[in-house]
Amino acid sequence: MSPRRADTGGRIDRLKTIRFTFDGTAYTGHAGDTLASALLAKGVTLYGRSFKYHRPRGLLTAGVEEPNALVTVLKGEVREPNIPATMVEIHDGLVAISQNRFPSLAWDINAVNQLGGNILSAGFYYKTFMGPVFGPLKGTRFWMFCEHFIRRAAGLGSAGTAKDPARYERMNAFCDVLVVGSGPAGLMAARTAADQGARVMLADLEPLFGGSANWSEESIDGAPAADWARRAVAQLAGRDNVRLLPRTTVWGYYDNNTLAALERVSDHKDQPGKGEPRHRYWAIRAKSVVLATGAFERPLVFPGNDRPGVMLAHAAERYANEFGVLPGERIALFTNNDSAYRAAVALKKAGAAVVAIADVRPELSPEIRKLAAEAEAEIFAGHAVVATEGGKALSGLKLQRFDMANGALIGDARSIHADCLLMSGGWSPTIHLASQAGAKAEWNAARQAFLPPKPTQSWIGAGAFTGSFSTAEAIAEGRAAGLAAAGGPSAPSVLPVVEAVPGDPDPAPVFEIRAKGKSFVDFQHDVTAEDVRLAHREGFVSVEHLKRYTTLGMATDQGKSSNVPGLAIMAEALGKPIPEVGTTRFRPPFAPVSIGSLAAERFGDLKPERLTPMHDWHLANSATMYSAGLWYRPMIYGHAGETVEQAYVREAKATRESAGIVDVSTLGKIAVQGPDAAAFLDRVYTNMFSTLAVGKARYGLMLREDGLAFDDGTTWRLGEQDFLMTTTTANAGKVMQHLEYFLDVIWPELKVHVTSVTDEWAGAAIGGPKARQILAACVTGTSVDNATLPFMGIVRGELSGVPVMICRLSFSGEMAFEVYSGAGHGAHVWEALVEAGKPFGLVTYGLEALGTMRIEKGHVTGAEIDGRTTARDLHLDWMLSKKKPFIGSAMMDREGLIASDRLELVGLIALDNLPFNGGAHIVEEVDEANPHGSIGHITACCYSPALGRHIALALVKGGKARQGTRAHVSDPLRNRFGPVEIVSNHFFDPDGSRMHG
Amino acid sequence: MLITCPYCGPRDVIEFTYQGDGNRERPDSASQNFEAWNAYVYDRLNPAGDHNEIWQHSGGCRAHLRVVRNTLTHEISSVAFVRGDHQGRGDHGSAARRKAEDKA
Amino acid sequence: MVERQSPEPLSPLEPEFHVGSHGNFEHGVEIILTETRPGSIVQLAAWPGEEKKLIAAIRTVTGLALPDGAGGGLSDGVKSVFGFAPGKFTVADEAEGLAAAFAKVVTPAIGTVTDLSHGRIAIRIAGPKAEWVLAKFFAIDFALPAFPVGAGRSTTHHDIFAQIQRTSADQFDIYVFRSFARSFWKALCHASEEVGYEVQ
Ligand SMILES: [Zn+2]
Repeated sequence: MSPRRADTGGRIDRLKTIRFTFDGTAYTGHAGDTLASALLAKGVTLYGRSFKYHRPRGLLTAGVEEPNALVTVLKGEVREPNIPATMVEIHDGLVAISQNRFPSLAWDINAVNQLGGNILSAGFYYKTFMGPVFGPLKGTRFWMFCEHFIRRAAGLGSAGTAKDPARYERMNAFCDVLVVGSGPAGLMAARTAADQGARVMLADLEPLFGGSANWSEESIDGAPAADWARRAVAQLAGRDNVRLLPRTTVWGYYDNNTLAALERVSDHKDQPGKGEPRHRYWAIRAKSVVLATGAFERPLVFPGNDRPGVMLAHAAERYANEFGVLPGERIALFTNNDSAYRAAVALKKAGAAVVAIADVRPELSPEIRKLAAEAEAEIFAGHAVVATEGGKALSGLKLQRFDMANGALIGDARSIHADCLLMSGGWSPTIHLASQAGAKAEWNAARQAFLPPKPTQSWIGAGAFTGSFSTAEAIAEGRAAGLAAAGGPSAPSVLPVVEAVPGDPDPAPVFEIRAKGKSFVDFQHDVTAEDVRLAHREGFVSVEHLKRYTTLGMATDQGKSSNVPGLAIMAEALGKPIPEVGTTRFRPPFAPVSIGSLAAERFGDLKPERLTPMHDWHLANSATMYSAGLWYRPMIYGHAGETVEQAYVREAKATRESAGIVDVSTLGKIAVQGPDAAAFLDRVYTNMFSTLAVGKARYGLMLREDGLAFDDGTTWRLGEQDFLMTTTTANAGKVMQHLEYFLDVIWPELKVHVTSVTDEWAGAAIGGPKARQILAACVTGTSVDNATLPFMGIVRGELSGVPVMICRLSFSGEMAFEVYSGAGHGAHVWEALVEAGKPFGLVTYGLEALGTMRIEKGHVTGAEIDGRTTARDLHLDWMLSKKKPFIGSAMMDREGLIASDRLELVGLIALDNLPFNGGAHIVEEVDEANPHGSIGHITACCYSPALGRHIALALVKGGKARQGTRAHVSDPLRNRFGPVEIVSNHFFDPDGSRMHG
Repeated sequence: MLITCPYCGPRDVIEFTYQGDGNRERPDSASQNFEAWNAYVYDRLNPAGDHNEIWQHSGGCRAHLRVVRNTLTHEISSVAFVRGDHQGRGDHGSAARRKAEDKA
Repeated sequence: MVERQSPEPLSPLEPEFHVGSHGNFEHGVEIILTETRPGSIVQLAAWPGEEKKLIAAIRTVTGLALPDGAGGGLSDGVKSVFGFAPGKFTVADEAEGLAAAFAKVVTPAIGTVTDLSHGRIAIRIAGPKAEWVLAKFFAIDFALPAFPVGAGRSTTHHDIFAQIQRTSADQFDIYVFRSFARSFWKALCHASEEVGYEVQ
């Protein structure tokens, strides 16, 4: 047992020794210790270097609000920076390092920043670096030059680059009552609501429920408060309607009582359990919320208040009572309120000498004087601390008589020898979640604090959160809140009896002692009281501007301890009362949240992906897969040693010479059913579908309401009232929503149902001169000859025992067929087709060859139907029916949409026989030095095996009229310039003789 | 934000797709009134306060809902099926619709 | 015995379907995952005002009498039916041929029948931790009072649509699009690891 560790008491298990390292030094602690308590027990005083000045810093607090002792935790290659040592539970093998020091924590080269302190005052960065550029090294350009050095010197821990292998999860939860905070108020609220039969969740960011009961040393119902809390928790744990969430920070309060919480599930373990996440993000929907989040103690602002060894009073009380650790042996206190006296008594009991209590108030109550006597402490009423001494640890401090009325310091300073100084500047209720929920805080002059307003319906406050700082009040309010939240009747009951140390909850209105030296307001961002005043002198009057200019409250602790003191100093400078200066609205998150927990499972292997029924066959047959949206499709089926281009050229060539087969299962498929299905399609498509015969398919084009092209595809009439619509892969979802919108909102009188059947059907498109022979060899139950299966005809038959539907249509320009089967039979049918095709030289082809053949044919896809083109631009005006209105027909003839200089679809042939690039511009005259004068751009390009040329589709201004002329490709990014010939987009077999056969 | 679908109950906004200003009126399909078409396609109300919006429960029952939402507070005062003549099965749907009608 | 004329349809879960115990099962198996592979999955949709006739047709074909209310449903262990949208129902049967049977009784005046036997995959999750694991995916309340036995829900996990029917107090049948099924199955297994699961 170390000299600072008591032999008994607190939450730690002294029988369990835990080994860990901090900055490479091996330490031991006990189960239940935080990194802060374990190091404090070993006499460690120095935990970090400050943000700007690299001042040595110790522990200020014992909890989530810690601004100074930020560490980086290393797990293998993964580093997590900026974690308060007060929130790290130690475990065997824990490796933590300090931050913002070079080369070491004890000896920091940048500590010289302290000497030039005035240079780095408020707005330093803005004044020095931002602004107009004059000369080579001024203003913004100067900032860019200096940034690298400054970022190294100033800042917090650095993030790692290794991939985080930890598991994160999201959890959705529903409850009647969510209780945030498990102190006496929260425990009472949870218990009361649970007794009413409500579904209750109780969350606390600490590992141990109980809040102040864990360290107050009060007694409740005759037992130590900590024991009372333990019993209350055990009772809750045994109930089916209660979920307990320790180590869970409720960090966001959103609309409709949706709250976000982060559960640190396994950070405190050497190894997470099998399948156990590191963090769990809870999205909680609560009917009502009880906010029992307590209060944060405020520091006092005085010179040297950031020296290691200066700590908040209650934090010392926590270390002594909850962890059995003394933060010092000779302890002084500095306070403006009564609560610090309880700490004095506790530390005295724990074995420290309390050498002095400086209180800014000249008059002290007899109860308080009695407590000081109990602590055997000398009282300095009407005194203030004006300086602290020491380096990496506190060695002493100076006191001076202080006039609370005017802030004046009187007489000579007196030195006190002490190794720890505890301060208390009053308490600020933790109103962050209420503020996020929209509540406007109200200044309470007696408490000198912002209190939450009267509860709105969705949340109810209890305990210190409401400014009721005594445990007896917390218990009463907790019970009332629990009843109200659960909607139960307010039956009278006997409340637990609390025996507590007496004290007045109202502090003296003193926030700062103005004396020579740096007095810190925001410890984490190194903002001093003088910085705040400087900001005021420079004209900043709004609290929001002050925050941004000084960066007060904008560090990772979000100003939990600095907000009110900063505001008070601002108010004084402005000569206004605090409530008129206003408070800032708190925003989520209450405390830092791991990015992993927000991403949860939506990354890596667990990202959703869509696979066709033939996916595994593709993988087993050397396909290189390509992700298209969420789908995975074969790009090529490469042979050994082949490049991508060689592979697709081989596949396309073989298809045109004999036959090729491609998986088209990803095409969007929508069942359009009902008595009005044909009439509906007439309205949706630009061309007629009511005239389509059963057993036939037709190519259709859809426009948007604004008259621009939307999507295309074939639709098959399977029955009088039964159509199968196909869409492009990428637009399947959008087309579905488009149809649903019109049926639900615009034409509810139409009897039509649309259903996504994309996944019901597997599709294989087989094309080429030998395609029909292949089908004839394997399809039974139907003929596939020209009479039975004409162009755009549909037949049903069987293939290898599986029912199939075959439609003769072509995207490749070859004689081609799409063979559809139930998706569960897709691989079976595919294999049968591939097998049947072997004697005919059938190849499998991927997206690259598919794209090549469609470019050769000049068919459009999403690259051309890009949301800016019209049917006319794409030479699809032959599809615009004049016999009927359709979606987009009223708007498609607007002046701008029929202008002669619109971008129109053309084909390009590279005259220099070099490859094109997608997106490259087309110009009339090349100007490599100063590229300009674009008349259009390339939408798709390939090497055409059919033409033996590099070709492209392009959208070119007045393109149709330019056919037969020359232009140039101008692609300065890829340094590709060269002459092209503008031709028709139908490069290959323009009259379609091949597919009509 | 939660939207209470008359069929599915309260669901997170992530399950819904915004489908535009619910005040738009589509001219008759055969109409040649260009002004009316232009207004329908391009004009949108942008009120600070209650707004009549169309949302599709795209991640649920896929019905289109007429939602009155306050653009300042996100408060939703009514939700009903756009397909007003549709008989939602059971009381769940019709009650929500009645409520919306009462407010209107 | 289920009579099949065609070859057995392939399950999209195949390469990721590993029968046996997985995850943290040493501490007990709290989740059972199976693919139920119904012979038929059919979607029925009534025209407005024709819901009652469709419900009667469902009773004629399956013998199942649908309870009232949005999302109402029931299952007899062989056949299952539930509402998932206004006037729309999903029906599943161990046997094939459901679509053909419904086509005879659901006349064009009542509504439509859409065969989804290949397009949807039915995954069953059962066990004391079923609610816990499903809560990782779906933002709906799985507690029994909020989601009674037999009832159906349509919801989404990221881009994955799902229709979920509770088929007993701790058992849910999830219908997902076939193309997403393997992804969803992998995620479901992953999420079940911490409580220990068995694939049957
Ligand atoms: Zn819905």
